[in-house]
Amino acid sequence: MRYFFTQASLIVLVVLLSAGTMLAQFTVSGKVTDTNGQPLVSVSIAVKGTAIGTITDVDGKYSISIPGNSAVLEFFYVGYVSQQIPVSPDTKTLDVVMEEEAVQLDAVVVSGLASNVKRSNLANAVAYIPSKEISGIAVPATTDAALYGKFKGATITANSGAPGGGIGINLRGITSISGSSQPLIIVDGVYMDNSSIPAGLNIVSKAAGGGSQSNQDNPSNRLADLDPSDIESIEVLKGASTAAIYGSRASGGVIIITTKKGKAGKTRVHFSQSVGQAKILNPLGVREFTEDKVLNSSRFAGDIDLFREARDNGQLHNYEDLLYGNKGLLLNTRLSLNGGTDKTQFFLGFSNKNEEGIVENTGYKKTSVRLNLNHQIAKWLKLQTTTNYIHSSADRGFFNNDNSGTTMGISFSATPSWAQLLPDENGNYPDNPYAPSNFLETAAKVTNNEAVDRILAGGTLTANLYQTDRTALNFIVRGGIDNYTLATTAIFPNTVQFQRNGNGLNGVSVQGVTRNLNTNLAAFLVLSNYLESGMSFRTQLGVTRESFNLNNILGTAWDMNGTQTNLDQSGSRDISQFRLLQEDQGFFVQEEVNYKDMVLLTLGMRGDRSTNNGDVNKLYYYPKAALAINLHEMGNWPEMLSQTKLRVAYGQSGNFARFGSKYTSFSGTIVSGSPGIQISSLLGNSTVGPERQKELEMGFDLGLMDNHILLDFTYYIKNVDDLLLNADVPTSSGFTSKVTNAAALQNKGMEIGLSANIIRTEDVNWNARVGYWTNDAKVTRLDVPAFTTGGFADFLGQFLVKEGYSPTTIIGVGPADYDANGDGIPDTVSVTEGVNRIIFGDAEPDFQMSFYNDFQYKDFTFTFLLHWKKGGYNINLSTLLFDLNETTHDYDDTTLDPDGQLTNGDYRLSLLGVNTQPYIEDASYLALREIGAYYTLPKNAFGGVARVKVGVSGNNLIKLFKYNSYDPEVSNFGSNGLSRGVEVLPFPSSKRLDFHLSVDF
Amino acid sequence: MINSFKLLFLGCCLAIFATTACQLEDIPDPNGPSLDPILQDASIGELQNLVTGTESLLRQEIGFYYDVTSIVGRDYWYFTGSDPRYTGELLGKDNAVLDNAGFYGTRPYAGRYRTIKNANILIEAVTNTSAALSDADRKGYLGFAKTMQAYELHLALNLQGQNGIRVDVSDPDNLGPFLSYDDALAAIKALLDEAADDLDAAGSSFVFSLSEGFAGFDTPATFRQFNRALAARIAMYQGNKAEVNKDLGESFMDMAGDFYTGPYRPFSTAGGEATNPVYRVPDQPEGIIAHPSFVAAVQANMNDDRNNKIALRPSGTLALDDLAGDYDVVVYNSLDAPIHYIRNEELILLSAEAQIGVDNNAAVDAINVIRTGHGLDPYAGDMTDEALIDEVLNQRQLSLFAEGHRWVDMRRYGRLDQLPIDRPNDDVWSEFPRPVSEVGN
Repeated sequence: MRYFFTQASLIVLVVLLSAGTMLAQFTVSGKVTDTNGQPLVSVSIAVKGTAIGTITDVDGKYSISIPGNSAVLEFFYVGYVSQQIPVSPDTKTLDVVMEEEAVQLDAVVVSGLASNVKRSNLANAVAYIPSKEISGIAVPATTDAALYGKFKGATITANSGAPGGGIGINLRGITSISGSSQPLIIVDGVYMDNSSIPAGLNIVSKAAGGGSQSNQDNPSNRLADLDPSDIESIEVLKGASTAAIYGSRASGGVIIITTKKGKAGKTRVHFSQSVGQAKILNPLGVREFTEDKVLNSSRFAGDIDLFREARDNGQLHNYEDLLYGNKGLLLNTRLSLNGGTDKTQFFLGFSNKNEEGIVENTGYKKTSVRLNLNHQIAKWLKLQTTTNYIHSSADRGFFNNDNSGTTMGISFSATPSWAQLLPDENGNYPDNPYAPSNFLETAAKVTNNEAVDRILAGGTLTANLYQTDRTALNFIVRGGIDNYTLATTAIFPNTVQFQRNGNGLNGVSVQGVTRNLNTNLAAFLVLSNYLESGMSFRTQLGVTRESFNLNNILGTAWDMNGTQTNLDQSGSRDISQFRLLQEDQGFFVQEEVNYKDMVLLTLGMRGDRSTNNGDVNKLYYYPKAALAINLHEMGNWPEMLSQTKLRVAYGQSGNFARFGSKYTSFSGTIVSGSPGIQISSLLGNSTVGPERQKELEMGFDLGLMDNHILLDFTYYIKNVDDLLLNADVPTSSGFTSKVTNAAALQNKGMEIGLSANIIRTEDVNWNARVGYWTNDAKVTRLDVPAFTTGGFADFLGQFLVKEGYSPTTIIGVGPADYDANGDGIPDTVSVTEGVNRIIFGDAEPDFQMSFYNDFQYKDFTFTFLLHWKKGGYNINLSTLLFDLNETTHDYDDTTLDPDGQLTNGDYRLSLLGVNTQPYIEDASYLALREIGAYYTLPKNAFGGVARVKVGVSGNNLIKLFKYNSYDPEVSNFGSNGLSRGVEVLPFPSSKRLDFHLSVDF
Repeated sequence: MINSFKLLFLGCCLAIFATTACQLEDIPDPNGPSLDPILQDASIGELQNLVTGTESLLRQEIGFYYDVTSIVGRDYWYFTGSDPRYTGELLGKDNAVLDNAGFYGTRPYAGRYRTIKNANILIEAVTNTSAALSDADRKGYLGFAKTMQAYELHLALNLQGQNGIRVDVSDPDNLGPFLSYDDALAAIKALLDEAADDLDAAGSSFVFSLSEGFAGFDTPATFRQFNRALAARIAMYQGNKAEVNKDLGESFMDMAGDFYTGPYRPFSTAGGEATNPVYRVPDQPEGIIAHPSFVAAVQANMNDDRNNKIALRPSGTLALDDLAGDYDVVVYNSLDAPIHYIRNEELILLSAEAQIGVDNNAAVDAINVIRTGHGLDPYAGDMTDEALIDEVLNQRQLSLFAEGHRWVDMRRYGRLDQLPIDRPNDDVWSEFPRPVSEVGN
């Protein structure tokens, strides 16, 4: 810390000693408008190569004093092509018309914790997603769902189709084995918690009772709370070379979300309403039984009379349709106000969402209110605040794996078409003789709700402490809180089949309350220095402090009184609590050097310490360095070539051990009413430290024909060392695992983008963009014996962690000579001595592509986004469960057996335990992620008072895949770790169609 | 230009820098007590918590133990749609073999050693504590801890059979060697004997309390009777019949007593308690179904009151995976039914077994206690050793049904090939593979 003070005092010295030298100066003034002649407010105008700048006022007017006898003025406005115009004392008046840019090249993106840089000067491939692409095409169900296919370098996968989301995001591959690979999320400077907190369904599902010890409750993650319509832009820092400035939390990358800010001028009111419908994305159909099939079934042969009776009475039911056939009504209302004066600007956003799911009684409701205020306190002092209140409620149904046969999906899989599960005229549901649950009754009666009340608030105070023509010193203080209360409510009334008549626990009520408070505070000094030579320096140093406090209390009651759900109306109760407390401190220094926009060099260092580490006061350092060379700024280049940038960047970042890794503790227990303590199964590591990621990234950006065509290429190598493993220990020690830094892995990949403004005339504007990205991962060091993890058992498919192999390699059992591609080399792998498995695939896709098209003709716009994921395998245990119950939709087809003898169901089952191949499937897909068509009514349609826009949009309207289930995007175990792509009868995904009406005043 | 406001402001900024630069305080685990302070100097209250925690762990993962030993030993099948391994790998269906990472082998094994660890912590804490405890008090804790460790080691050994097990596991970083089956039995027996000596020196009462499961066995003297009962079981497995008789003599065996006398794991549906994991609601689409071989054996005489261990399914046959059965297992009739560690009925059967070849009349006397106690006529078969062994094994199958004995008994006598298989390619396993975590680690 002493180092800071030295630096800080130096800066103070500079401030006090520098004396502004007075030179000749002149003034230029004028007005900035868009192509329609509308004034543009808050356009930044800077004198190139100096610290001098101003912004346009409410009328688009500006005035600026310029030293010397000539200068270049830079006009800069987000979403518009920036301009550089030479001026001299003769200029006096300069009116500027700014053109909307086709590609967001001039957007500013983060370059330090307290500074931004123009994208064209950036040395990293930071993804930038503007508002228009987040919520402007279609209605994203949640903010995380708005990210699919929108930028390169990410694998984004929904866990299921349950309302309220639940999504995993991996940026440039998996970066951790037992820890989180999920990115850090920063909203307007506030650290946003993105936890997934289970609702305690395990008491009924018993999912943790068999092959897997995880709960599989399928909770949503809390990024879902943020309203996508509030977002101005999203920046994605994909690896350590950019994310180093976030230190120990940034190994999974950083998603920086900036919300909309007010702009001075008359108050603009925006209102929009959409109405839509959701339905199941890919119904599989059910097995069509015949007498022969029933008689030949070992499970159903005895039920032939029931089958005949149902068939003769026309009572064969398609239960898939009855369970998943709800056509969900989707309602979204949006109101926003935006305006202000020169000194104060505000943005007020209100959203209300009410969406039904495809299963009865499921759905998602959300209300969000946001107020963002900017205020210029004094000429040198500016305050920006953001405040967001969110209330959301998600009814998520009862799905995923269980060991009690009670979830809707599992009991549905056990039920043939002749079962009679519909309620009688009094609403009484019969027992399902084929499963412990009548899933129609479960859908009607069981509650699984997550309700959130959340406040995200942040403020930034920027003080311009010292300003001359060539030097500026700013002090920035930024603080934020993320405070939410999550209430989970799971009610299994004692009238459902698996709770009544002594089946089960006579009613269960599980109510959890989680209170989370994250606070962060940071202070920075930023010193900018512009030398006459054209060289400029920007020095920043800062300190940060974050604290995290999560408290989860889960009350479970069973043996309920009548229909009561209050916890104390019960015969038995249980309670559990989990607390997470963490304090982090860090410092940050960075130096940026810019030589005439030609050469840009950045050097930086972050130091972090945390109570999560074994040694709480040990500082971990994360350096970074980046260099960009804008060749087009040097010398004479052909007219065609408007941008040529070479860039290379290196950085390090970290990833904390899971909370609690440093403790070896006891859990509490009760025997006959007396409390006791039992040693936990995790052997803690009192010296645990963070994982360390080192990333080298290089690439180039090429702009042709005035940047109407842009090509970018990036290659990266990301090495993650000191990977934390919950390494298995011999269980005879009494422990099952211990936390050790014991592995390393490498991700290598490529990202290529091509965008073009294909047609640009007065009436027609057509932009297209193609992205291609690929990632290869490999475990490069493993200090513990190779192991399999992430699934239920090797014969049901698991992930192999072994040196030299991808950490997402999927293995299973199979014949020793198994050779899928027929290259003569068997696909076997030795896990440990004597344990040989077959490699059936890798969860990592071969590559992904996205294709974005934005077509505008006069007042019509038409936009769509295609997303292609090629390769990547899933472990499809849904099919297994259907097969075991002899109800699979394709049970009777004969497309699999190479001998053409066995039906698909019989064939797959004949290989169960012998060959896992039938249940490990290619999960490639081509999805029409979003499509939208809008028409803006002529200006004078409503007397010029309002502009009215109507439109229609769709999400996932088309999704093509061969994968034998509802959706290849699925994860039974949620977002974390190595278990993505395991499917066990999830809530099926849906597609949606919305109609829109919006009015702008 | 600098004005005084800005200077003041700058001062504040530096103050913020300064306050964020202070040291971080370590945060103790907010969710539970940590190991080290307890090892170093536990209070009497914490020692009691460890005793109760050890009792609690004796219940943990124990359902898997009873299920897998009963399935492999053809006492019952577990039909469930949730996991195919219960009717696949455990029964050796077709080419399926036991997986050394399969939960059915790893979880009951790990559960036993977790109890042993907790008891080792108790032993170390008792040794180190500065609490006001007499030597006799300390011996009491040790006698309890070692007896329960021996019990758990034996269950682990039952699963691992000829693979053997580790016995010395007190240091997680330096685990002792795997002992062969015979050596492990000897070590377990020695541990029980050591515990018995501790109990002899433990005075007249424990300073800690045990749960209701040890009612009647909660003083050093009575707990020692339980210890000797376990010792008799081990001695029988070792084939040392003289030792069995000696240990039974010091145990709680009572030829005239209730068959169900003996300490047990208590279960309860009350909050925070564990429920009986072997209990399944009868007559459901999923459940534990009595193996036809047991049904035939017990229904050989409908007067045998052990017929109450199974119940005909009102909804009819339950079939899965080419297996079908008509009777639910109802050995445990509710979620709070206790599961015994060892009970009088087994001791009587041990006594019978130990007399075979020594005093066959005494063996028959003991057999008849069981037979008549269950409504059967006294034994009238051959008096040869072989015939009596058959009879004892038969009575053990009926009396100790679903209590984890059938498979181990048949293995002890080399008769696993006599266990019935249900599908042509099924297998009867002789032991579970050594868990994957123990291989190469």
